[in-house]
Amino acid sequence: MKQKIIPIIALAVLLVATISIVRTQPRAQTSEPPVAPPRADFEQRVAAVGLIESRSENISIASHLPGVVEKVFVKVGQEVKPGDPLVKLDTRALEAARAERQSGVATRQAAVATATARARHARAELAEAQRNLRFAESVSDPRSISAEELTRRRSTVEIAEADVQGADAEIAAARTTVTAAEAALKAVETDLERSIVNAPITGRVLQVRIRPGEFAPAGPSAEPWLVLGDCSALHVRVDIDEHEAWRVQPGASATAQVRGNSNLRAPVTFVRFEPLVVPKQSLTGASTERVDTRVLQAIYRIEGADFPLFVGQQMDVFIDASDVNTAMLNK
Amino acid sequence: MLTGDRAKYLGLIFAIAFSTFLLENQTSIFAGIMRRTGSQIADVTDAEVWVMDPATRYFEQTKALKDTDLLRVRGVPGVDYAVCLFKGQPVARTSKGEFSQAVVLGIDDATLIGAPRKMLLGSWERLREPDSVVIDQAGYILLFPGEPLELERTLEMNDHLVRIVGISDASAPFGSFPIIHARYSEAVNFLGRERSQMAYVLARPAPGLTPSELTRRITEVTGLRARTANEFRWDCVRYYIANTGIPVNFGITIAIALLVGLVVSGQTFYLFTVENLKQFGVLKAIGVTNRRLIAMIVLQALTVGFVGYALGTGLGALFFEVTAQKIATRGIVLLWQNAVGVGVLMFLVVIAASLLSIRRVLVLEPAAVFRG
Repeated sequence: MKQKIIPIIALAVLLVATISIVRTQPRAQTSEPPVAPPRADFEQRVAAVGLIESRSENISIASHLPGVVEKVFVKVGQEVKPGDPLVKLDTRALEAARAERQSGVATRQAAVATATARARHARAELAEAQRNLRFAESVSDPRSISAEELTRRRSTVEIAEADVQGADAEIAAARTTVTAAEAALKAVETDLERSIVNAPITGRVLQVRIRPGEFAPAGPSAEPWLVLGDCSALHVRVDIDEHEAWRVQPGASATAQVRGNSNLRAPVTFVRFEPLVVPKQSLTGASTERVDTRVLQAIYRIEGADFPLFVGQQMDVFIDASDVNTAMLNK
Repeated sequence: MLTGDRAKYLGLIFAIAFSTFLLENQTSIFAGIMRRTGSQIADVTDAEVWVMDPATRYFEQTKALKDTDLLRVRGVPGVDYAVCLFKGQPVARTSKGEFSQAVVLGIDDATLIGAPRKMLLGSWERLREPDSVVIDQAGYILLFPGEPLELERTLEMNDHLVRIVGISDASAPFGSFPIIHARYSEAVNFLGRERSQMAYVLARPAPGLTPSELTRRITEVTGLRARTANEFRWDCVRYYIANTGIPVNFGITIAIALLVGLVVSGQTFYLFTVENLKQFGVLKAIGVTNRRLIAMIVLQALTVGFVGYALGTGLGALFFEVTAQKIATRGIVLLWQNAVGVGVLMFLVVIAASLLSIRRVLVLEPAAVFRG
């Protein structure tokens, strides 16, 4: 018995040790993802990321003239028709210029009137000189009027004729300045019209980032200040890695899934390829970034999505490539 | 017989127990430290396949992939899903001025695949909140020494202020850095700007496909390196074995333990047999066969071996039960492979030791007993 005590103790110790070892063993675990990740609907597929845009693509409205905004006519989300005013710039300077140009026109018109009166006066003087000359010439007795007097009257007629010509030229000159002044006025009026930015298409205002008092630059601006788009149908602009581009066929079926909930998915139909393969737009948008990937962009139309989608949202897109693979393998 | 000679008996048990304990202890610590090189791989439980740059050799060393590589992996037939993972090592600083380099893992914003599932405080679901991170307990203690575990404390990384919304029980990393989980879109800002940031793509095979089959397909289609989580962990272990002095260090200790066990038990057995040659001679004289004698010697060797092994393993298990509770040595346990392996080794040692002495018994002539 005594001999067996130690082995029995050893057995008990080993048992406890075994339990401890089994209990502490590291175990490989698997778990399901917290949120349904994007999953393809097709066995052979091309995966891509797309950005939702409006059917017309997103139009970032520009101003004809630089200036401070006086009035914004539209609100975000508002539907607009072609020609509807969007934004009015401050026009006080232009209005002052118009008044000045208007008075300029009036001044020039008055000058025309003055010149016209002067011409009438010259004509009247000419008529009188001609009458005096005719009277002198009609006198038959050469002694009753001296030769000198006759010559003087002839000269007076010639001078009066020259005066008439001069006055006519003055009228023409005055009329030309009127036309010029009117053109100048017209230019100001055009600028006044252009101070109101109008909607170019039927669509929805997607973004308004300008308020009365802010400056609207003319020409392209880094930050669009008013974005318009035709949202009657939503498109998704899909970036396809150039390595995969050959596998995408125009007719192939495709689905788009909402980021964060891949159960929200909608079929999309092919619209067109962008013919130009472009460098992949980076997410950070920093100017210092270099590009080492180029992407083919394809436009797809989202069909019958019964859940809310927004322009600018990212979607995970899967495009069926089963036909392509077999076709390419056979070549 | 042997049990009758208490000093030798206990000495033998002690030698084997000591040798067992030392071997199990050293091999397990070695294995535990090596396992740590892939802790962060094992902690990702919702993806089995890791995709990386073809030149990547282990977890710490990463070269970022292109953003579109994620899409290419998604396009591989047999991929159930694939998401991105960011890994960076920024410096995290507390408001009191404590700082430490940290391992930041940026998980996919949309799905939170790769989030730490073992939480001590708070929840990983709160990572959806802006400027939120989950830090592991050891990292928390490192950055907030002597303070209780609390949420809503702040850290600063690369001029970004973040809130701690959860404290995880992440597996201990190889270096003692804090493990910080954040969303991908935010994690990329914790490090100075780099052109591309995606360190890994995590993928899961479609039902019916094994991870290793999927790794083959991904490599074939995309040209990227794809490893199963298990393969990748072994890559890390191999890298550290090949490139650090750790295996040499442990190897020496293990060799000495083995040598001591073999020499002490072999010598004791031998002495015991030699001292009892007379008794063996008597047994032989009364007609006990050689076979019977061998059986007797082996049986007592096995008994001693078992007792020694059992006590040594008990001691080893106790040791790791205690150290596993400590933060610094968490996750280092007595692996069953080590316990079984050392058991087999000890079995061979006692058999070898006893066989050394058996030769003397076998050549013994029964008459020799009576000559003396």
